[in-house]
Amino acid sequence: MTQIETFYEVMRKQGITRRSFMKYCALTASALGLGPAFVPKIAHAMETKPRTPVIWVSGLECTCCSESFIRGAHPLAKDVVLSMISLDYNHTLMASAGHAAEAALEETIQKYKGNYILAVEGNPPLNEDGMFCIVGGKPFVEQLKHAAKDAKAIISWGACASYGCVQAAHPNPTRATPVHKVITDKPIIKVPGCPPIAEVMTGVITYMLTFDRLPELDRQGRPAMFYGQRIHDKCYRRPHFDAGQFVEHWDDDNARKGYCLYKMGCKGPTTYNACSTVRWNEGTSFPIQSGHGCIGCSEDGFWDQGSFYDRVTNLNVFGIEANADKLGMGAAGAVGGAIAVHAAVSALKRAQKKQEKVEG
Amino acid sequence: MGVTTPNGFTLDTAGKRVVVDPVCRIEGHMRCEVNVDEQGIIRNAVSTGTMWRGLEVILKGRDPRDAWAFTERICGVCTGTHALTSVRAVEDALGITIPDNANSIRNIMQLNLQIHDHIVHFYHLHALDWVNPVNALRADPKATSELQQMVSPNHPLSSPGYFRDVQNRLKSFVESGQLGIFKNGYWDNPAYLLPPEADLMATTHYLEALDLQKEVVKIHTIFGGKNPHPNWLVGGVPCPINVHSTGAVGAINIERLNLVSSIIDLCQTFIRDVYLPDVVAIGGFYKNWLYGGGLSGKSVLAYGDIPEHPNDFSAEQLHLPRGAIINGNLNEVHDVDVRDPEQVQEFVDHSWYEYGEPGKGLHPWDGETSPKFELGPNFKGTKTNIEQLDEAAKYSWIKAPRWKGHAMEVGPLARYVVGYAKGHEDIKNQVDGLLGTMGLPVSALFSTLGRTAARALESEYCGRLQKHFFDKLVANIKNGDESTANVAKWDPSTWPKEAKGVGMTEAPRGALGHWIKIKDGRIDNYQCVVPTTWNGSPRDTAGNIGAFEASLMNTKMERPEEPVEILRTLHSFDPCLACSTHVMSPDGQELTTVKVR
Amino acid sequence: MTDLHPPHLKAFEASVLTGDATAEDLETLKKQSSVYVYEAPVRVWHWVNALVITVLVVTGYLIGKPLPSMQIAEATHQFVMGYIRFAHFAAGMILTVGFFGRIYWAFVGNTHARQMFTLPVTNRRWWYELIYELRWYMFMVKEPKKYVGHNPMAHAAMFFFMTLGISFMMITGWALYAEGAGQGSLPDTAMGWLLGWIGNSQILHMLHRFGMWSIVIFVLIHVYAALREDIMSRQSTVSTMLSGHRTFKDDRPD
Repeated sequence: MTQIETFYEVMRKQGITRRSFMKYCALTASALGLGPAFVPKIAHAMETKPRTPVIWVSGLECTCCSESFIRGAHPLAKDVVLSMISLDYNHTLMASAGHAAEAALEETIQKYKGNYILAVEGNPPLNEDGMFCIVGGKPFVEQLKHAAKDAKAIISWGACASYGCVQAAHPNPTRATPVHKVITDKPIIKVPGCPPIAEVMTGVITYMLTFDRLPELDRQGRPAMFYGQRIHDKCYRRPHFDAGQFVEHWDDDNARKGYCLYKMGCKGPTTYNACSTVRWNEGTSFPIQSGHGCIGCSEDGFWDQGSFYDRVTNLNVFGIEANADKLGMGAAGAVGGAIAVHAAVSALKRAQKKQEKVEG
Repeated sequence: MGVTTPNGFTLDTAGKRVVVDPVCRIEGHMRCEVNVDEQGIIRNAVSTGTMWRGLEVILKGRDPRDAWAFTERICGVCTGTHALTSVRAVEDALGITIPDNANSIRNIMQLNLQIHDHIVHFYHLHALDWVNPVNALRADPKATSELQQMVSPNHPLSSPGYFRDVQNRLKSFVESGQLGIFKNGYWDNPAYLLPPEADLMATTHYLEALDLQKEVVKIHTIFGGKNPHPNWLVGGVPCPINVHSTGAVGAINIERLNLVSSIIDLCQTFIRDVYLPDVVAIGGFYKNWLYGGGLSGKSVLAYGDIPEHPNDFSAEQLHLPRGAIINGNLNEVHDVDVRDPEQVQEFVDHSWYEYGEPGKGLHPWDGETSPKFELGPNFKGTKTNIEQLDEAAKYSWIKAPRWKGHAMEVGPLARYVVGYAKGHEDIKNQVDGLLGTMGLPVSALFSTLGRTAARALESEYCGRLQKHFFDKLVANIKNGDESTANVAKWDPSTWPKEAKGVGMTEAPRGALGHWIKIKDGRIDNYQCVVPTTWNGSPRDTAGNIGAFEASLMNTKMERPEEPVEILRTLHSFDPCLACSTHVMSPDGQELTTVKVR
Repeated sequence: MTDLHPPHLKAFEASVLTGDATAEDLETLKKQSSVYVYEAPVRVWHWVNALVITVLVVTGYLIGKPLPSMQIAEATHQFVMGYIRFAHFAAGMILTVGFFGRIYWAFVGNTHARQMFTLPVTNRRWWYELIYELRWYMFMVKEPKKYVGHNPMAHAAMFFFMTLGISFMMITGWALYAEGAGQGSLPDTAMGWLLGWIGNSQILHMLHRFGMWSIVIFVLIHVYAALREDIMSRQSTVSTMLSGHRTFKDDRPD
């Protein structure tokens, strides 16, 4: 077996100087929002650890997670793949195919039992014996279970693996099922979003490599560092929300001034993600900055929360779609009408009674 | 002995069966089986889509204004193109016109996708079929530098030291014993023909392109807020323009425009100095490997895209050409009408679906889908462990769309063949120029390499178009038009009770159409016929084989157990399986046939 | 002429002397005709509750469907939505404190203070009375019965819309407030589990809004019924919630 190299060794062999190596560690630290005190810690981690093998499997998905991953700017996707992890199985990027690809998967599972990270993109469909998604002639769910058995931890990339996403939207014809409902005996880190932000994806991986532990997770199993707050909590348009200044129609004056998109159905107030802070594609922008409200793509079941353009959305209760305001206002109106009628009848009855009394 | 299909391919299943599953470096899940004779020549090909998500079933009953977001999630690689097709379909149904600026911005985004997709496809999904990164370790950095300066004198990253650094990095990577994505590649297969220097140069560009592509997509981020999966809007684009007054920083302003402009320049520079030269250089070594033509010289289809003016989809107003060529007759380009029930039809005789009336082809507006997973009598294995499929029966989650009964190839090469046949000036100049440079006849176009080359040429053309629409956008703003959305019919109460429409685009992989029916403000019926449904289609009722299958025919494999050649040709289509394997509910009818076990 | 000075009416001398009471009046007057039902804390709670619920409904509605945009000042100096939300949160906190105070009073106050927290569903008599009261509201009986506390229908409404309804609104409301307060905050520690359980905050928001409409419907019925009962039933209602005393309009026992 060839000796397994550490990050630092790999980087030095690439001709990277100690100085730039430390600079790189500093960048990683700042990317993770950590202070300078963490730089030596990161450096130490990278000097002593072999590259962690990552098996990246794909179920029902659209490959947006892989695409997002390669948009990573800090660290660069090429650095992650060449120097930080050993991406031993990934349909989108791997050179081999068919038997050779399956052999690569098997080798990694055998060689690194209990030490590899399983990254899951997409989810397994359970209907039709799982044959709505076939890998190597077998249902994907089998591959998932097989690869999960000896994994150290599982990363559920994106809304598909975390929650089910679009194929699991009502009526979920293939019974697409999120990973944590199929694999129940392994630590699972959900990194939701459709897709997740590139730097959040690489951030989660580098966190695990650097600190040699799983990130702190919130109640829904997401890394608290990136999913701890709502987009709304850190939105740069928040002052306009508090002021009550909203975009009233697409492309109106308020839209051009960058007012709050709340009335356009923005789901920023109900969506936990780092879009308003980390932003997208190297901080270039994020949906709200580009004039469209957040559609809530990192939330559980975001496809089934009514229109993306309503704030008061429909709720699916027992299979019946209902809108709080429409139903509530209708019911209140009906009750008000009933009261009016009842009051009128009451008055009439009372008058009759008085009449009877007088006559009686 | 063999059977000849109506579209002229002789299939012979006598030879050894080779199975490739999964086919990697594509979008989604795909399986391929071929029969190879004693000489290693492919005599029968079977392509299978191995996933099904049922998005159109999910779309039923939803707000048509939301449909773009659902359909966008059909594919994260050609991200945005489904969304654009969807908003076009809804606008067509409801008679919504979009402002000029919205047309320019949508075109810039769509062209940006073409460029990004083609670059990522060539370097990250396709290059490893031609380029051997392990062989690059044997290269002389100095000679590589000279090669680089020869093929592309303008590219600044060309010093011997630069290539030495990359080589060292590769070396330590390989020596680490953890080969990662290069693990189990077919690196000693004689099909790889490049000298080490060319391998090093191309591998270096693999890494450069990986850095570059994340810059390219920033145009999507500026106008759509993120990439993958930017945001779109029925009636225009969601990003407002404000270049003059207070609050301009909340919209598309001069800073944003400058960023767009710089990315457009970056795209053009990279395509000119790296992408095109690489295709010419690598292609030069594989000049004699002209397999993979398949249907490209016989039957090709393009819907056309990139309208010069908003709301005008007439063929002569489209920058990417529209038309169909059949029976290899390049002298006649047929017009395409996607509304005509006789033109686009889907067949399911060999797909895991069933129709009420077997053997019939259905137009998307009248489509039917009930999934029916069954394996033919001659398949080998078990239901959940398929060893070999029976292509005489149903064998794919992909339907078989046909144009007037013909199996068609779509994609960059199809667009270029149609454009060339129509005498499209830009396309003709590009094609003639490239063929001249390489000393190849027009017939060389109909090949795996032709597909790859067409993609590169198209990137260059799209780069210019991107600039054109950017200039148009700026000129329009200068003339005082800052409008980006038409909200007159935003409110569903303004819609007719029933409406139907169709949206078309040219996705990076080819002709894409969405058909929608709206009833009482909700989606009544939605269907997508996507590029990989055309290309990856199984056999139809008449026995015509699809474009993937046709392209693999008669290819010589160096080592049948190592599917380098199969991958090469399949990859040249840039397959997108998540796109192709869809389902459709028949006219307003709830899909209920999915078995829950 | 009636003797206005019988010995047993001596106590009402003032009324007799000023002549503002008839003999009939005095017959009624001599009887015990009021019961002290609602103690001061209950009454205070009722009116505070009425006020904060009004504020909560109005502001809550406007949080979901905000007012038209206003251009009073630069965003930093304008706080329209902020004040609306502040009023909502402040009222919600008063509602919570009040509700807990009311629970406390259920333990230390009189019997009537406990009525709204329980529903005597096992009592056949109660069901009979409920149906009787329902028939009164459907004009099927000529006269209602007398009740000291809530009549059975009011009792049921109080239990479902107030006891359970307000609890639901407080639980969902605090879970929503916990989102803004942030993970690790006291509201989050107390109520954050609910969002974790429901999964999507949008669902939580909409559940809270459904709750709002149910309270609105309750208020409509409650106010109407209170006024109607005041006029048409055999006991006081509106004034009872001011004085605490339930007075009765006749002396018939049932």
